[in-house]
Amino acid sequence: MFSIIKAAVGGLTALCRVNGHQQGLLHGHLKVLAAGLNTRDIPPDHSDVVLPDRRKLKFVNKMPNFKNAKKEMKNLKDIQGPATAANAFTKGEFAIVAMGGGYLHWGHIEMIRLTINRKMDPKTTFARWRVNGPYKPVTRKGLGMRMGGGKGAIDQYVTPVRYGRFIVEVGGKVELGEIQRIMTEVAQKLPFKAKVFSRASLAAFQKKHADMEQNNQNPWTFKEITLGNMLGIRKVLSPKDLCHNGRFAGKFHLPWRV
Amino acid sequence: MAATLCRILLPKQGWLPFTQCVRHGSKSVTRHKRPLHFLKQKLMSVTRYIPPPRPAPPGAYPRQTIRDQEDDPFTILVKKNLKNVFQESKMIAVVQNSGSTADEMMLLKYKLHKHGITVKFFPNQVVRSFLKDSTYSNMAPLFIGHTVLFISKEPKVKEMLSSLRTSRHMLLLGACIDNTLLSAQGVVSYSKLPSVAVVQGELVSGLTLLTSQTAAMLQRHPAQLSALLQQHVKQQSSEGAPKAQEAT
Repeated sequence: MFSIIKAAVGGLTALCRVNGHQQGLLHGHLKVLAAGLNTRDIPPDHSDVVLPDRRKLKFVNKMPNFKNAKKEMKNLKDIQGPATAANAFTKGEFAIVAMGGGYLHWGHIEMIRLTINRKMDPKTTFARWRVNGPYKPVTRKGLGMRMGGGKGAIDQYVTPVRYGRFIVEVGGKVELGEIQRIMTEVAQKLPFKAKVFSRASLAAFQKKHADMEQNNQNPWTFKEITLGNMLGIRKVLSPKDLCHNGRFAGKFHLPWRV
Repeated sequence: MAATLCRILLPKQGWLPFTQCVRHGSKSVTRHKRPLHFLKQKLMSVTRYIPPPRPAPPGAYPRQTIRDQEDDPFTILVKKNLKNVFQESKMIAVVQNSGSTADEMMLLKYKLHKHGITVKFFPNQVVRSFLKDSTYSNMAPLFIGHTVLFISKEPKVKEMLSSLRTSRHMLLLGACIDNTLLSAQGVVSYSKLPSVAVVQGELVSGLTLLTSQTAAMLQRHPAQLSALLQQHVKQQSSEGAPKAQEAT
């Protein structure tokens, strides 16, 4: 009797083993699903952000209200060098920052205004101008005119923009990812190089430059040589090179210079 | 473009060089990048930014503190196994395996299993670190390359050698038999040694040679014994006479 039971048990185990083996053969190609913990990032809390009443960009006039408009000299030094005004964040979180010098005329300003006003969501975002409307008169002579006969008539008004100046500042209950696409679209159409920054990325950008200055292995610096006028090099440099230390060439900023 | 040298008189407050070469080309702010004066080009290249030297990437150089590393649990397990192996077995042979196939391996294992020899695989690094701490430290040079261990409780050297002779890829490097380290030739000569019983018998027979001979002589026929003894006396006397003559 015991032998029969043993045989039965042995047979059963053999059967199970065979089945398991077959199952293993059949399902060997499938992935093993393990139970895991789904962790998600906590979305940022924008409850403390206060949105202003007028959230869209205001309309900017083509020219200032002058009774007697005066012609001005070209005065190209308003493009040269870094910006000292409007080069920091005020109320917003993200901004388009100029990476070079140039003139913005009414067409550019309209483009910025229309694009941003159309694409942004006024319930959650607001935008602010950080440049003035065009105020600098630019003269032009008629087509095909010979030299001479006085200065040309005022053709248009422009706004000068220096390197590091904010053009538009955007804020509200938004993340960079939502707003970046719209702002880069605008930034690429500007007549100078421009980039979109957030508060953190701008701080990081400035820190990177400061670190570059710190860990420069070159014992010779532009500043040292120009201040001391070594080898009479100031003969071939302009007075602005003393201020800018070789980082600017005309209206262009040279990012590889320290 | 006319080059004009302008001598400009300036007040002494902020100084500029007295002579400035003024070429009436483009203005300082242009839409294109103005070509730099050669000296300014030189100045820009001399004062360029030189970044600090980059450190080597993390996996570039081997870690220096290899010896001071603690063993991971797997190594500890393997070392325990090794310890048991060395304690229990009398014969431990190290064989180099140069690309034997699974079938050959299977056949070899089958052949050896019939004589009670097991085939074991251990990682070389672990074995070397184990041997370093044990009494078998002189075996360490054997464990280089693809090695296999043949272990048995009884030193069955002849059978092992015969099975290794037939296999093409296995090469005997050395063995530790009865706590004595043997080279490959040593193992061969060990196999040619007679068995313990035979050696013992030879030793016993050598020791009891004289007594057995005398016992055999005494058991012979008494006439032969007396003849032998007479011959012996004659020889002794003949030896004694020449020795006395030599002495005088």
